[in-house]
Amino acid sequence: MTERFAEATGTSVIGGAERRSAKSLLALVVPVLVVGMLLALVPLWLGGSRVLMTVAILGLAFASYTVGFNLIFGSTGQLFLCVGALAGIGGYSAAILADTVGLPIVVSVLLATLASSLTGGLLSWIAVRRSLGVIFTGIVTLIFALAFENLLLGLGALTGGENGFLIQSGRDSFLRSRVPAFYLMLALALLFVVVHGLLRRSHVGWAFRALRDDEVAAELAGVNVARYRVYAALVGAGMLGMTGAIYALTQGRVSPTTYGFAEVDVVVVVMLAFGGIGSLFGPILGAVTFTAINEFLEGFGHLRLVPYGALIIALFLWIPRGLIPTVADWVRRRRHQQ
Amino acid sequence: MLEVRDLAAGYQGNDVVHDISFHVDEGEAVMIIGSNGAGKTTLFRAMCGLSRPSSGVVVFDGEEVTGMPAQRMVRKGLGFVPAERHLFPRMTVHENLSLGAYPKRPDPETMSVVVGLFPRLAERRRQHAGTMSGGEQQMLAVGRALMARPRLLVLDEPTTGLAPKLAHEAYEALAVLRSQGLTLLVAEQQVPLALAFSDRGYVLENGVISLEGTSEELAADPRVRSAYLGVT
Amino acid sequence: MTAIVLDGIVLGLQFGLLAAGLTLVYGLGGVLNLAYGQMAVITAMTVLFAMNAGVPTLAAVAIGLVAGGLLGLIFDQTLLRPIYRRQGEARVLLSLLLTLGVAFMVDGFLNWRYPTAGLGLQISGGPIEVLGIPMRRGSIVGSVIILIVFALLFVFFKGTSLGRAVRSVIEDEEGARLVGIDPSLMLRIILIISGVLAAVVAVTQSMIRPVTVTAGFSITVFALIVTVVGGLGSVTGALLAGIILGVVNSLATSFIGTFLSLIILLVAAAVTILIRPSGLLGVRE
Repeated sequence: MTERFAEATGTSVIGGAERRSAKSLLALVVPVLVVGMLLALVPLWLGGSRVLMTVAILGLAFASYTVGFNLIFGSTGQLFLCVGALAGIGGYSAAILADTVGLPIVVSVLLATLASSLTGGLLSWIAVRRSLGVIFTGIVTLIFALAFENLLLGLGALTGGENGFLIQSGRDSFLRSRVPAFYLMLALALLFVVVHGLLRRSHVGWAFRALRDDEVAAELAGVNVARYRVYAALVGAGMLGMTGAIYALTQGRVSPTTYGFAEVDVVVVVMLAFGGIGSLFGPILGAVTFTAINEFLEGFGHLRLVPYGALIIALFLWIPRGLIPTVADWVRRRRHQQ
Repeated sequence: MLEVRDLAAGYQGNDVVHDISFHVDEGEAVMIIGSNGAGKTTLFRAMCGLSRPSSGVVVFDGEEVTGMPAQRMVRKGLGFVPAERHLFPRMTVHENLSLGAYPKRPDPETMSVVVGLFPRLAERRRQHAGTMSGGEQQMLAVGRALMARPRLLVLDEPTTGLAPKLAHEAYEALAVLRSQGLTLLVAEQQVPLALAFSDRGYVLENGVISLEGTSEELAADPRVRSAYLGVT
Repeated sequence: MTAIVLDGIVLGLQFGLLAAGLTLVYGLGGVLNLAYGQMAVITAMTVLFAMNAGVPTLAAVAIGLVAGGLLGLIFDQTLLRPIYRRQGEARVLLSLLLTLGVAFMVDGFLNWRYPTAGLGLQISGGPIEVLGIPMRRGSIVGSVIILIVFALLFVFFKGTSLGRAVRSVIEDEEGARLVGIDPSLMLRIILIISGVLAAVVAVTQSMIRPVTVTAGFSITVFALIVTVVGGLGSVTGALLAGIILGVVNSLATSFIGTFLSLIILLVAAAVTILIRPSGLLGVRE
């Protein structure tokens, strides 16, 4: 899961970062545009089927979730098993603020994003203060996720409980039509990838890599590990919240299962593990792959979990770093041999 | 009894010690002397089965035991008391000692020998090992290893953290064991104590054996005297 | 009020034994078994199928217990091989992920093939009075069985040489090796025991309410919560935490509501991790 940071990015710690900035910016923007254009073709193919477009939109939501998780876990090693809950804070907050409180949609989404971001930052801060290792961070965030799900169920008057919350706001807007919603979600996912990419190329990214490689060494080098962890959580959770909020508005309803642990977190972890923990486009690759696989297996009901579970086992046994880093390594090794 | 040939050991591909060759004959007391970081602990751990050597051969009682895990080495008659002792903190002194004899039931005769050597352990039979002082823990660690009736006892820095009086007592106990036929291999930082106690010694420096000889020879060697005995 | 507390204790004993199985495996081997709930469900199904095939109840239960032990052994021989090759945190993480994968596979298959299956053991006879409260006979019988099993566990760990050997591995794995104890053999024994414990809980639980195929993950979550609070590696801690949390759950459900009482349990676990990560009586952190 760790990479030698200098090798990985080709940037030198001391100097040369400025000269590379123009070139590396292009190296970021071009792939994003390429991926973006490829994915933009999807509605041409699926546009006719509302069902399939809904699946595609969900797939893009998962891509964004995974980018957020990648930022939190891949960059700073914080195992946040509450991705769904953080997205849910965004989704439910936006729904309640827009419908029950009556705020404009944009304001609701922004406030919802803020709520998620702050919650993520708080969780990170607690984990840092109590020096929770990876496992305990995972358990505590899992507890948070389960507690949140139950909170949604318990506070029925506010949240609609089990039946969920029908969102009236934005009912007649473009948000509810499939194709514009698709492009909105696509733009969001690409935006997040760009943000992640920019962060990586900045001093923040250097700090992330340093603390992921060797926390003690990073502290000694002057990196305030705690601060950067919380930064990553704030930004990552913000991404999760914004995605959850906008997704909710495109669907017109939210329910506890929209953001449940089993429905979101498990899937996101697998998507990221498949695509490549820490890699920029891993989340997109993972999301596209697993949305397709999931759709393929749709008819099998519960049996779907079987190949899914088998995949988890195979993934973490044989390609734990994910597809993109493993392939990248393999290519690098072949090039060295020549 | 114990022969080590061209042993190398370390962590994750980097050897801390290499080209280590030495032997311990039956009935001897042999010392490995070296300062902190010389590699004594790495060597002993690889030799006694707590980690695997990267290359080389270890022969005990004519049988090759290179890389054999520690739990099987004990059954062969090699007892090891590491620097960290690894006692069972929430178990009593009695339980710690009893487990030393595993898988056999603790032999009352052996128990009385051990308790005779370390009377303080008898007083604290029901005390939890984790609550004892450093010196008492060291005694317990040695006592536990003795419960298995080893033929060779390997000790890694047995006097670390012990007050000088306790360190002397520890070596007195070891001398008694020697007289009863136990073969000993000890790694020590406290060189004067080691040389006074042992027959022969090896000096470990920067991962290799730089000197060897009888204790008298080593004590007289100018390099040893200046580096370890503080004599210029 | 007494009735609620008694119900809580009955529930708590279930929690406790469940947690004991999970905590032993974690404390000794550093392995987090997230498929534990599915193990319990499989044993329940085994008993159910045996009974449906005409096997008398007692024999069917025995078969279930054996099945539990076998599951533990199979686990050790297959899935845990790659897990043992890693140490410390990497081991816990990998065990978490691999057992989660297994949990999904089992859960998916069972729910697809036998969606409505559930084991329910009827204990004939009327209610038994405890402290003036009439309790269902099934609750009493189940609780007594669990108490007996706990007693057996204590005797095993304190009084037998093998039990002490197992404890020593939990205390200090290298120390155990130094006295001739093979940690992987001890872990195998513990895994078999944990499988049997899962079976016992499944069977006793079924005396109170049916154990269905869907219960897998919630069983694991409860076991995890109690394990965390009780302390990793401590059977006594599991019992203590189980009873406390059982009573808390019972009280909370009566006065507040199901969802919020679960939140209280979850918060209790979180608070334990934050304030005292080793739990009430734990060893390994």
